[in-house]
Amino acid sequence: MTPTTIAATDTAAEPLIPPSNHPYADIIHRLEAGGSMLPDSEENLTQIIGIYKAYAVPMDFYWRNLLYIAEQVFLDPLPAFKYFISQEYLDRPNSYSGDQSKLRIWRGGEKAHPELLEFMARGETTAMPKILHHLWHDRVNMEFAEACMQAMFWHQGMGGRFNDYLDSDAYRANADRAILAYFRGNPLMLGLYKLFPEMMLEKVKQLSYYANLGLFWEVMAPVFFEMSDIYEEGGFKGVPDAMNFLVNGIFAVAGRPIYHHVFINGECHEIIPKSEGFTWLYEAALPYVEAVFYRTAPFRGTKSYNAQAGQVPAKQQDFIYGILYADVFPVGSAGIPPTLLMQDMLHFLPAELRELYKQHKRGESDQLIQLGVTFQRSMYNVTSAVIQALRCALLYPLDDTDPTHLLANRQFFEAQMDRFLCPEARLPQIQTADYR
Amino acid sequence: MATILETAKAAGVFNSLLTAVEAAGLTSALEGPGPFTVFAPIDDAFAALPPGTVQTLLDNPPQLARILKYHVLVGALSRQSLLEQPEWSSLEGAPLPIRRDDPFEVKNATVVTADIACDNGMVHVIDRVMLPG
Amino acid sequence: MTLLLLLFIPLAALLALPLLPDRAPLCRRVAVAAALFQLALALLAWRWPPADITLPWLPKLALTLQLGLDGLSLPLVLLTALITAMALLSTPADQSRSRLYFSLLLATNLGLTLAFLAGNALLFVLAYELILIPTTLLVASFGREQRASAAIRFLIFNAISGLLLLGVVLALGWQHPGGVSFAYADLADLELEPKLANSLLGLLLLAFGLKLPLLPLHGWQPVTYSQAPTPVAMLLSGAVSKLAAYGLMRFGIGMLPEAWLFWAPWLAAIGAVSAIYGALNAIAQTDLRRLVAYSSLGHMGLLALALAAATPLSLQGVVAQMLAHGLIIALLFCLVGVIERRTGTAAIAELSGLMNPYRGLPFTMGLFLLGLMAAAGVPGLAGFVAELLVFEGSWEAFPWPTIVCLVASGLTAVVAVRLFNRVGFGRLDNDKADWISTTWPERLPAIVLTSLVILAGIWPQTITGFSELSTAGLALRQNQPVMAPLLAATAPASDPTALELSA
Repeated sequence: MTPTTIAATDTAAEPLIPPSNHPYADIIHRLEAGGSMLPDSEENLTQIIGIYKAYAVPMDFYWRNLLYIAEQVFLDPLPAFKYFISQEYLDRPNSYSGDQSKLRIWRGGEKAHPELLEFMARGETTAMPKILHHLWHDRVNMEFAEACMQAMFWHQGMGGRFNDYLDSDAYRANADRAILAYFRGNPLMLGLYKLFPEMMLEKVKQLSYYANLGLFWEVMAPVFFEMSDIYEEGGFKGVPDAMNFLVNGIFAVAGRPIYHHVFINGECHEIIPKSEGFTWLYEAALPYVEAVFYRTAPFRGTKSYNAQAGQVPAKQQDFIYGILYADVFPVGSAGIPPTLLMQDMLHFLPAELRELYKQHKRGESDQLIQLGVTFQRSMYNVTSAVIQALRCALLYPLDDTDPTHLLANRQFFEAQMDRFLCPEARLPQIQTADYR
Repeated sequence: MATILETAKAAGVFNSLLTAVEAAGLTSALEGPGPFTVFAPIDDAFAALPPGTVQTLLDNPPQLARILKYHVLVGALSRQSLLEQPEWSSLEGAPLPIRRDDPFEVKNATVVTADIACDNGMVHVIDRVMLPG
Repeated sequence: MTLLLLLFIPLAALLALPLLPDRAPLCRRVAVAAALFQLALALLAWRWPPADITLPWLPKLALTLQLGLDGLSLPLVLLTALITAMALLSTPADQSRSRLYFSLLLATNLGLTLAFLAGNALLFVLAYELILIPTTLLVASFGREQRASAAIRFLIFNAISGLLLLGVVLALGWQHPGGVSFAYADLADLELEPKLANSLLGLLLLAFGLKLPLLPLHGWQPVTYSQAPTPVAMLLSGAVSKLAAYGLMRFGIGMLPEAWLFWAPWLAAIGAVSAIYGALNAIAQTDLRRLVAYSSLGHMGLLALALAAATPLSLQGVVAQMLAHGLIIALLFCLVGVIERRTGTAAIAELSGLMNPYRGLPFTMGLFLLGLMAAAGVPGLAGFVAELLVFEGSWEAFPWPTIVCLVASGLTAVVAVRLFNRVGFGRLDNDKADWISTTWPERLPAIVLTSLVILAGIWPQTITGFSELSTAGLALRQNQPVMAPLLAATAPASDPTALELSA
C-alpha cells in the first residue's frame, strides 16, 4: 500500500521527537536547531551588534566605577564624588582584554576605551572641568549601573551562593574588620557603627554587589567590543553566530572568581576572598540575568501601581519588569533607568544604526526609543545565549540522538519559554521587523 | 588495589582531570583514606568544553576545586547503590541527580565504565564534565 | 473706510475663491491671507479708531448700513478675525471641496464681522441670520458621521433663535416714537411700558439663550461642536457663540435696562445652573470633543451670571470672558483636532500616555493641559483674569449664583486633572502609537492661541483694556468697594430693587 511506502521514506527525515505544542513552538524549534529567540535576519544582526558596541563603551566605565566604589570609596558617608573615578581605575587593565590578560581570546586594549575617554573629556557639550560635566549631567549615567546593582541586591536569592555568604559569620567578621579599619580615628562613625551595626553591614553587603556587578561587566565589555570587531571584519553570518559567540564567551569565563576586596590606606581587606570559590557564571551572570533581564522592579516616575489590587506580584520571583518585558515607550522620561542607559548608548551609537533610525518612525527625534527596542532585541539574543549555555552545561547537545535527551532539552526550552507567556513579554513583538 | 588517583593515572585517559586535580590542590585530599565516589570525566569531555573554559578554571584554583568537587560523593558507592536514590549530595554541596539506570546516566553525563573499585573509593568514568545547577 | 474694508476683505476673498482651481493649499493660502489682512486692519482700527459710517440701504425698511466700532465690538471683531485665521490654519492641507469649504468659512467671518460692526439692530439680525447658512452647511457637508442630525438640530435651534430675535427687534423698532428706526442709539432711548419691556426681554433672552447656549436650551451644542470639523468647531465656539453674549449686552442691557433688572436674578440662576451642569457633564464625558463642548457650556454660564449682575466690573468681566473663552475654547478644539488627526480617535478610553516624550504628543498635550488650566481659571492665564472679574463683579449682586459658579470653575480643574491622568499619563499603547509627531505648521495655530492666553494672563490689559468705558456706560449697578459685600454677605443682595440704579 502506498501509505507504508511514504512512511518508510519519511522515517529518515522524521525528527526523533514530535513537534512542540507550546504557544511559542516556532521559537522552541528554532532554539532546538541552534538558533536564537531573535529571528535571524540581516537587520537584526546589524541592530544587535551595533547596540552591543554602543553598550560596551559605557559599560567600560560602569565596571571600572563599580569596582572603584566597592574597593575605594567603600563606606564614605558623603560619597559626593563616587563617580569621579581615579586614574588608576580608569587605567586598570581589564582582566580579559589586552595583552596582559591571562585569557587571550578577546582582542582589544587593556585600558579604558578611547571613545569613552573622549566622551569623558568633552561630553555632549564641550571640554570643561569634570565637576561641571558632572553637575550638568553631561556624563556617563552611573545611576543606571547602580540601578542594576540594586536589582541584584534586592532580589537576592537567585541561585549561586553569593547571597548566602553575605549572611555567614565569616562575611560578618570580614566586614567588621574592614569597617573598623575604614573608620579608624573617626569616633563619630565608629559610634554610629556601635549603635547600628546592621546598618553598616547592610551597606557593605550592597558594596559587595557593586563588586559583583563590576566583575561581571568587566568581562561583558570586551566580549561586546570583540563582537563588534568581528562583525566589521565580516565574521558573523547571522544572529545564531552572534549568539554562539556569546555562549562560548560565557563558558570561557564561567570560572572567573567573584570577590570583594577593599583597599583601606593601601591595605587590602578581603571581604569576600577569591578562595570562597565564587564563580562568574553562578554568582554573577545568572543572578544578573535573572534580576535585570527578568525581574527588576517598577521604577519611579512613569506609572503608579496599586499593590493591594494585585498590580504588583506578591512574590519577588514573579516580578516582570526587566528589559525582556519592558515597555520601551516611556524611555525619555527623566531619570528612569531605561532613559539613563539609552542616553548613554546614544553617545556611542555606530553610524549604521543612526542611519537605520533615521529611516523609521520619527527618525532622529525618537531614536532613544528605537534604540531601546534594539536593545531589547539584543538582550533577547543575550538571553538566548544564556539559555543555550545552560542547556549545554546542564543538558544535552542539540544533535544528540537519544530521544529522551532531546525531550529533556525540549522540556527545558519550553520551561524557559513559559516565562514569556504573559502579555507583558516582548517576545512576540521582536519576532516582527516593524516593532521599533 | 590502587588509590583513585593511581587508577586514573594508569588508565591514561584522565590527563586533563589529573592536571585539574593538581591545580586545584585536591591531590592530597583524594589521596586520603576517603572513601569517595569519583565521577571521572575522560580527556575528551574536557576537550569538548568551549575554548578558554578550562584555562580560566586552571588559573583560579578555588573555582576549579568547586567544579571538581561536584564530581565527588562521600562514600564508596557502586552503580547499584547509586541507583537507590534519585539524588546525591556532592562534595561541592549541590545535588547530583541520577537520571537513568540503563544506560547509566548521572546528571547529563553518561557513565562509560562503572564500578572501578579503588583502595579509597569507587570511580565511574563519565563522558562529560558536569556543572552544578 | 476701514470699517468697509473689514467687510470687503472677506467678501472679496469669498468671491474670488470660486474662480480659483480647487486645490486646498492654494485656497487656504488665499483665505488665510484675507483673514490676516482683516486682523491687521482690525488692529489698526484699534490704534486709530475709524469714524462711524451710515449709508442708506433699504430706507423703506429703515435698514441702513450703519457701521461703528466701540469698546464692545472692537474686541469681538479682533477675536473673529483671529479665530478665523486660526481656524483656517487648523484646516488640513488636504481639505476636500476646498473652494466651498473656505468660502463658507469666510462667509461666516463676513457675517460675524458685520454683526459686530452693525450699529443698526436690523442689520445685526440680518448678519445673525446670514451666519446660520454657512455654518449649517459647514456642519452638514464637512462634519463627522452624525453630521446630518447635528446640522438639523443646529439649524432648528438657531433658526428659532433668529426668528425670536427678529420679532423682538421689529417690535422695538416699531416702538420708536419718531417713525420706525433700528439704530442702536434710537432704540436705547426707548421708553417702554414695563410689561412690554419685560416680555420683549424674555423673548430676547430666549433667542440668545438658544444661541449662547444656556440651560435648558443647549440641546444642539454638544452634538454640533462634536460633529463639526475642528476648524468649524473653533469658529462656532470661539466666535459665533459670542454673538449671543454681545447681543444680550447691546439689546438687553443697552435697550431694556429696567426689564433686565427684572430678569437678572433668573438669568443669574440659569447661568449658575449652566455652569455647574457644564462642568459636571464635562467630567462625565468619554469623548474629548464633547468634553470641551460641555466645558464651553459651563463658561457660557459664567457669562450669563456676569451679564445678569451688570456691574461695571462684571461687564468688563463679560468682555474679558468672551475674549478669554474665545481664545481658550478655540485652542482646546484645535488641540483636540490635532490629537484626533494623529491618534485617529477622540475617545478618552482609547487614549493614554500622550505625554510620552518621544512617541506621544507631548507638545500638543502640554498645550492642552495649559488650555484646560486656563479654562479652569488658573492664575497667570487668560481665564483667571476673566473669571476674577466675573466673580468679583457679580458677587455683590448675586452671591449665591456666584458661589455656585466658583464651584463650577473649580470643577473645571477636576476635568483637567482627570483628563490628564487618563489621556496624558499612563501607558502609551505600543501597537496603536504609530503616528508621526506634529509638524510646526500644525502647531502654529495652537502656539499663537496659547501665546495670547498667556499674554492675557500676565498682562490683563490686553483683554480688559478695550472696553472699560463702554462697559462702564452700560452698567446697571455700581460696584461697592470690594470688601464691603464680603462683610455684609448676609444682606439680601440678590434683590435687584435693593440696589441703586445708575443714571
